[in-house]
Amino acid sequence: MYGALDIATSGMIAQRTRLDVISANIANENTLLNAQGEYDPFRRRMALLAPGNPSARSPRGQALGVQVKAIELDQAPFRLRYAPDSPHADASGYIREPNIDSTTEQIDAMEAVRAYEANVAAAEAIKSIASQGLRLLA
Amino acid sequence: MTLIDHVTNAGALPSLGMTIQFAARRQDLLAHSIANISTPRFQQRDVSTAAFQATLGEAIERRRAATGGASGDLRLGTSREVGFDRSGALRLTPRSSGGRHGVMAHDRNNRDLEQLMQDVAENVGVFRTATELMRSRAGTLRAAITERP
Repeated sequence: MYGALDIATSGMIAQRTRLDVISANIANENTLLNAQGEYDPFRRRMALLAPGNPSARSPRGQALGVQVKAIELDQAPFRLRYAPDSPHADASGYIREPNIDSTTEQIDAMEAVRAYEANVAAAEAIKSIASQGLRLLA
Repeated sequence: MTLIDHVTNAGALPSLGMTIQFAARRQDLLAHSIANISTPRFQQRDVSTAAFQATLGEAIERRRAATGGASGDLRLGTSREVGFDRSGALRLTPRSSGGRHGVMAHDRNNRDLEQLMQDVAENVGVFRTATELMRSRAGTLRAAITERP
């Protein structure tokens, strides 16, 4: 029974991580420089989910649930903007900007929040089952 | 048959126990499908409640034929989805459900959140019903033991 709670928790953790990644993407929508101050436009990050939960306590629980398998960089081409006055402009006057589309990120964020809520609902159902089961003893 | 067997296997108690085990195991599967609601290429998995009820019904019929149904062990037949492990606990082998094979979503996930939520609500209902019935049965036993209503 508490194994089922592990499953719902793994879903909440995965969706929260995904939301963190989306927040980072939105925050860095216009980031052109890297941490060292060099011209290196921010690449979009993607959280890749996969079934299975290695942090579960039981072998059966490890087969169920979800995990963030990796956070990878989106290799899609950068957006190009014509800005000949920019110090980072190339020979034809274009600068490369992060390959982040804020609409896509907003929609992904909405989906992640809804999926999180679905996991909360599943956890509530499991809690109600567990308390109902415990009442048998009382 | 010992006296305690008569008490613990009396009436509907064994089938209620099976139903509770089934609902608890199925809850794991439903939670798994909800946790993977946005996992690419994930296919929902579930067991058929109708198949389980049919297996349970057959076992009840067999027990009724053997002992008259008032008491006695309930022996469930195994099917492709419902089985037992060595300790005698219920083990479910789910199949893919949802059926649309993910053609509706770019990530090929065949998610169906509304259906899942309905299944969860139903499953919790089944669990509550079975535990309430078992509780009232246990209350009767307790009243008999303590000789107090």
